Amino acid sequence: MDFKRLMRNLDWYLIGAALLLMLGGLALIASATYSYAQTSGGFWHVRRQSIFMLAGIILAAVSLRYDYHQLKHYAKYLYVFNLLLLAAVMLFGHSQLGAQRWLQVGPISFQPSEFSKILLTVCLATFLERRIEWLESFTDYLPVFLYIVVPFVLVMKQPDLGTSLAFIAILTGMIFVSGFRYKWFASLFAAGVALFPAFWLVLQDYQRNRIKVFLNPEMDPFGSGYHVIQAKIAIGSGSLFGKGWLAGSQSQLNFLPENHTDFIFSVLGEEFGFIGTTCIILLYLVIIWRGITIAINADDDFGTLLAVGATSLFMFHIFVNIGMNAGIMPVTGVPLPFFSYGVSSLMTNLGLVAILLNIRLREQRLQF
Amino acid sequence: MLNKEKLNRIYALFAIYLAAFVLLLGRMAYLQLWRADYYDKQAEGNRLRQSRIMAPRGLILDAKGRELANNLPSYGVSLQKQNDYDEATLQELAAILHMPLTKIKERIKENVNYYQPIRLKSGLNPKDPDDMELITKIEERRRNLSGVLLEVQPIRQYCFKNLAAHTLGYVGEVSEYEIEHGIFENIAPGSIVGKAGLEKSYDEVLRGRDGAFMEEVDASGNVVQHYDSLKPLPGKNIRLTIDLQLQKVLEETIDSHLAYLRSSGLAPRARAASVVVLDPKTGAVKAMVSRPDFDPNWFVDGISSRRWNSINNDPNYPMNNKAISGEYPPGSTFKIVTGSAAFELHKVGLNEPIYDGGFHPDVPTMGNAGGEVLGWLTFIDGLAMSDNVYFYELGKRVGIDNLARYASVYGFGRKTGIDLEGESLGLVASKEVKKKIWNEDWRLGDTFNAAIGQGFNLATPLQLAVMLSSVANGGIRHTPYLVDKIIDSDGRESTPKRPAGEKINVSAQTISYMQEGMAATTREGGTAAYFSSLPKRVAGKTGTAENSMGRDHGIFVAYGPIEDPQLVAVCLVEQGGFGATAAGPIVYQVFEEYFRQQGWQPRYRPVARHSAEENDATSAAKQTEKASDQAKAAAASEKKQPDKAQVQPKGEERGAQAQTAPAPDKKNGATGRRQRKKQ
Repeated sequence: MDFKRLMRNLDWYLIGAALLLMLGGLALIASATYSYAQTSGGFWHVRRQSIFMLAGIILAAVSLRYDYHQLKHYAKYLYVFNLLLLAAVMLFGHSQLGAQRWLQVGPISFQPSEFSKILLTVCLATFLERRIEWLESFTDYLPVFLYIVVPFVLVMKQPDLGTSLAFIAILTGMIFVSGFRYKWFASLFAAGVALFPAFWLVLQDYQRNRIKVFLNPEMDPFGSGYHVIQAKIAIGSGSLFGKGWLAGSQSQLNFLPENHTDFIFSVLGEEFGFIGTTCIILLYLVIIWRGITIAINADDDFGTLLAVGATSLFMFHIFVNIGMNAGIMPVTGVPLPFFSYGVSSLMTNLGLVAILLNIRLREQRLQF
Repeated sequence: MLNKEKLNRIYALFAIYLAAFVLLLGRMAYLQLWRADYYDKQAEGNRLRQSRIMAPRGLILDAKGRELANNLPSYGVSLQKQNDYDEATLQELAAILHMPLTKIKERIKENVNYYQPIRLKSGLNPKDPDDMELITKIEERRRNLSGVLLEVQPIRQYCFKNLAAHTLGYVGEVSEYEIEHGIFENIAPGSIVGKAGLEKSYDEVLRGRDGAFMEEVDASGNVVQHYDSLKPLPGKNIRLTIDLQLQKVLEETIDSHLAYLRSSGLAPRARAASVVVLDPKTGAVKAMVSRPDFDPNWFVDGISSRRWNSINNDPNYPMNNKAISGEYPPGSTFKIVTGSAAFELHKVGLNEPIYDGGFHPDVPTMGNAGGEVLGWLTFIDGLAMSDNVYFYELGKRVGIDNLARYASVYGFGRKTGIDLEGESLGLVASKEVKKKIWNEDWRLGDTFNAAIGQGFNLATPLQLAVMLSSVANGGIRHTPYLVDKIIDSDGRESTPKRPAGEKINVSAQTISYMQEGMAATTREGGTAAYFSSLPKRVAGKTGTAENSMGRDHGIFVAYGPIEDPQLVAVCLVEQGGFGATAAGPIVYQVFEEYFRQQGWQPRYRPVARHSAEENDATSAAKQTEKASDQAKAAAASEKKQPDKAQVQPKGEERGAQAQTAPAPDKKNGATGRRQRKKQ
């Protein structure tokens, strides 16, 4: 593939949106860690995020050399690798904030569950693509469900509700496109509601608490409800124009915990106001729009499913994260793509962008 | 390539995703545009905390600017207003403050409607090791005790403890009752307000206005920035008319004299007393004492139950300012009213003799004490010797209605209007009063009783002082007052509003007769002749208030110097017996101190006691002779209390000594006794 053609066929909307989001994210990570940087002397988070961002971009660029279709051949191994990775977390992982999610490799600790999202997308796309012509009845889908149930259970065990729900989002997006009947969705939803009490028992105490607090944050304003209330206050007090970069009292005075990771959107809301949040949400819309477009124009069903999976994953993260910041979704440990501090998540998202770009590059287009 | 169905599914998926974006944008618009003000306030509430700066209470100064009450720095522990309180913090706080958790929660509840910090403990004295330990503990645990404030709080100090306690009053934390009933304007719980005395009546002047400042705090409660918002407005100082030196001498005198009265057996139950010293030209109160007393410092940060019980169980009510609230029969001091009425209504001439045959012919059962017979008397002698029969006759001529009228003219039966709370009205004897109290008709005997200040008449020592001021200043009635000037923080002085002096409806002529009669009282032959040893002439009047509950109350009223009256003093000793012995010596000391301050030396120097005795030997002998006559009368007059007669001789001996040297010792206490007529 010559360079000129590559440049022409790259999806610049997607690249531009991702780059702008990452740069915006860096500015907000700087703001969120400003007081920490003052005392410890240096924007450690910003530097680390930038380094991984550059590394990720280079890796993504390099990956474009390889046709995504080859992934199909590695799906089996990737699936096993994924299970091993999640099992390793259970065996060797260390906990943070009540969940065992981290794995230390040399100097770098990372969250395998982030990578397992991308692995699962690839594996599921492969698995579905192979069966897509035979998916007629509900029972035809049972192997698909079985396929993801193992990694799903492993992630639930960590426990990582966010990632397990992300798996469901990927699956839902893909089977939706594969022609899973609406009435089956309805029946599953009904079954989910009916099974909710059982599900409730499986949840960890802190997860139950989060859901309870989501329903009524005032129940425990200084405990579990604190995040929900403070995030809403931060966003709301940003008003139309925001309080200005580094000038948000909620963010700068630490009323808002975890504000460089899961709650970074609240910092955005407080410091850049409605204008800031609208711009960022629209940039995410660009990503989703490109994702859907790429899915439509993909070379084959595998590409379509892969693009739909990646787009659904983005959508899930965007909606759940912004939703929980805005108080319309319960608090689940879901980072905001490109924006939240967290190198595992950043690398995963760059990986997803690379896959989308790859699909785009290999469309069967009329060549003039 | 995708078939049609799959394509439709992707569009449907995109539509769902678009809907999600619309939902997110809508939510942002709701939070950041529609509800922005609400959340902005919430953020401000997070970030900003209001703390109170206590305004120092105004000082109370004496007439010469010396501090009687000031403020000590101290600490108070408060809880920042929050929507919710951390249980663990409250528990730890309760442990540190030695305060039950329920009590803290109660305080929080009480303060629901106020935005100021909730005061939990006040008056922590940095000099007290226990208090200091508490302060340090809170300071050390500050990070854990989020929302707990250590406020600097000035605490009231009464510099001379018991001195003028009833006049100054005391302060304390505003009570729930006071808040509910709006007794103080704009008051928050935990505020310190005046509870009694001048602290109460001038509370608004003294209190000032608490300031507040804003602090920007972070989520752990650490102060990030400090903004001044409202500077405290210090309370204004008040300068009293009270003279510290005179008040001090008076307090010492009254204590030592009461002790003497008790220990000598003259009046074993003499524990309660009061004195008022006024400037008759203005009504300014120069000294005021009530006994028994208390230390107002006890109340400042909540009185201990032990002290409260000791006050509460005292049968003599230490908390009452008897000078303004004690109601007593005015006794013979009321003869000024009777005399004034008689002259004003032309019922008697100055030199018209009236015969005292030991009893009044119309009501033979009523006479002088012990049936003493003084023969023909004119007004001056009658008043000087406090002859009862003479005044029975005047009372009869004037009639009870006119007596009551003139009693009102002199201010009896109504509040004097002094700038203190808790004044009593007193009572003026009249037909209506008797009807009301006993439901009986008036009889001549009642008029006789009223004419000599017994029976239904009741007056406070302050009312007597106001009456006497009118006599001393030639017929002007001044409203007595304690606060001379209000001084604001810039040093500007202002005078509190008070009514101007008004002429009373008694002619100058009549007043001058009263003055003469009172002057004669302290001359030889009068009931308080020992006053003649003072460097300037002082006019006085003894009185004995009948007391059905025990020994009679002794009263003495005086003003001086006669030529230019500058001081009026009234003293009443409960169960002290005769006015001249129980109360007179205290008044004597007041004048002696006042004259000393003016640079007027006593006629007889106490240091030259020996020679003075020699010089005065003849007069002393004469006095003694006279006294023995009186003793018999006195003995007879006190049938109720036979012990009085027995102590009489002791008094005489002392009197002889004191006559020559009225030094500030207890011995002259009984001086006047031998001069005493029936009082």
